[in-house]
Amino acid sequence: MLDLAFKDLKEHRVRTILTALGIFIAITAIVSLGSISMGVNELITSSTGLIGADTIFVMKEFDLSEMAGPPGSFQIEDIEADVVEEIRSMSGVKLAVPIISRPFRGLFEVDGLDMDDVDIFGGGDLEFKEGTWPENDDKGAALGYLVANMLDVVAGDYITLNKKEVEVLGIFEEGSGAYDLVILMPYDYADEIYETEGGATQLMIEPNDISLVQEIKDTIEDEFDDLDAMTMEDALVMMEEMTGTLNIMTFGIGFIASLVAAIGIIITMYTSVLERRRQLGIMKAVGALRRTILIQILEEGLMISVVSSLIAVGVSFIFVDMLNNVLLGGTNLALITPALAIGAVAYGVMLTIMSSLYPAWIAVKTDPIKAIREG
Amino acid sequence: MKEKIFELRDVWKTYFMKGIETNALRGVDMEIKKGEYVAILGPSGCGKSTLMHVMGCLDTPTKGRVFVEEREISKLDDDELAKIRREKIGFVFQAYNLIPSLTAAENVALPMRFSGHGRSESQKKAKEILKKTGLEKRMDHKPNELSGGEQQRVAIARSLANNPEAILADEPTGNLDTEAGREIFELLEDLHKKTGKTIVVVTHDINLAKRAHREIRMIDGKIDK
Repeated sequence: MLDLAFKDLKEHRVRTILTALGIFIAITAIVSLGSISMGVNELITSSTGLIGADTIFVMKEFDLSEMAGPPGSFQIEDIEADVVEEIRSMSGVKLAVPIISRPFRGLFEVDGLDMDDVDIFGGGDLEFKEGTWPENDDKGAALGYLVANMLDVVAGDYITLNKKEVEVLGIFEEGSGAYDLVILMPYDYADEIYETEGGATQLMIEPNDISLVQEIKDTIEDEFDDLDAMTMEDALVMMEEMTGTLNIMTFGIGFIASLVAAIGIIITMYTSVLERRRQLGIMKAVGALRRTILIQILEEGLMISVVSSLIAVGVSFIFVDMLNNVLLGGTNLALITPALAIGAVAYGVMLTIMSSLYPAWIAVKTDPIKAIREG
Repeated sequence: MKEKIFELRDVWKTYFMKGIETNALRGVDMEIKKGEYVAILGPSGCGKSTLMHVMGCLDTPTKGRVFVEEREISKLDDDELAKIRREKIGFVFQAYNLIPSLTAAENVALPMRFSGHGRSESQKKAKEILKKTGLEKRMDHKPNELSGGEQQRVAIARSLANNPEAILADEPTGNLDTEAGREIFELLEDLHKKTGKTIVVVTHDINLAKRAHREIRMIDGKIDK
């Protein structure tokens, strides 16, 4: 009898709006935070997929606590040129690619590397929206779509890096994954711009054989106290830990929002049952079964939750769009997947139904005589 | 000989309020046959309404046995009692007890909806019943838009919704002026004549009670013989 449930909701607008508001806030929080979590997971997955399983990353040791602060404020110290050469000449090392990395405007990164080694990072198949790859002796850079979009530049324009003018030689097609967020330039030019004197922020090492990965890692860490060597396996574990922490945070906040919403729903539904005690008594007096009363209260919860969860998901799309465009500089970092949207609506409905059970039980237990007599 | 619709044997109803025991019914024995028009009379607090509630399956006795159409209801659970109320008994209360958010027609349709009838079928039948009670022009009004007499007519129409065997009316004219009260009694009389339904009316108005075919007088929770 959905029509009767609807009439009751309409009749008690304030109570209905308050209940809906609780669900709306919880679902908006879950979808918005979940979208960031989903986006970061997606980005990490796409980034790791670009690199081979036998790759070893080497960089200077750093303390994670130094990473606290605004995005882009932390810079890992460079590995000196002689150390790079020493590692390059180690036995079992097939290739050691020095990369100069610098954060750029918080979210983005400048990477300088030998353009002949771009394939190692899965860049060989990238398509260009305009322009092309810089050659190793070029004085210019290729920009990720989102970087170009944020800086509002086209091929042939200039951008400023470390107070020097750098020509834009190419812009990658939109949707190039992690490359959307990168400014890529030849190693020598990056060395000149950032004055690294042949050093590197990180070294990517490819061994002669995958079986040598662990041996090379151990040798580097033994010989150079201030260096950290990380295999792909280590990197994946670290990323899994990071995304795991992010997921726990997201769902922790979501859980608290749900708890607050659930308490709100219980209070408003319970108050509504008390307000309507006489009406429930009349319904029972004229023949409503306990099941009928239970269903009516749950139907009210169902209607409020479906509508408010759908609105919450709709508003979250707008919020996430604003977040991506205004705060995250045109990235698509926050991502609402269909599974997240459908899951959030289902969760909102389930949360409301569960929270309505106690008030519904109180309604079911209404004694018709007492309710009619005492109101 | 006519079948009994209500039969009470040594029925007691005891309330405990703040540790004090109050016997609202004290060993009531009575029976009402199908098609009778009975008035239950008595002073305020003598147990008339309690008797009506026990008879109408709204309440269960503390002791004794109650039969509706020869089925004992004293030990039935909430839902079984609700089914009997829905199908066999129609209630009319002193305070009308209509649902304020529903129109007259929706209020009348309610017991039919609870019996599993669809919305449009119930509404259609509700409107037919309301026509018979002289409310054809007030069907879509909510209770707060109707006079006391009109609200009681809606309540009578609601009591007829599932075509029950008996109508139990608890002080149906208690909140009405003399003229409206007389009209309600005429409506109940007319209903009795035309449909042959059992009508049981609780009242403390002797003049109105005299219009019934049988009077049952109550005093201090007992039938005054």
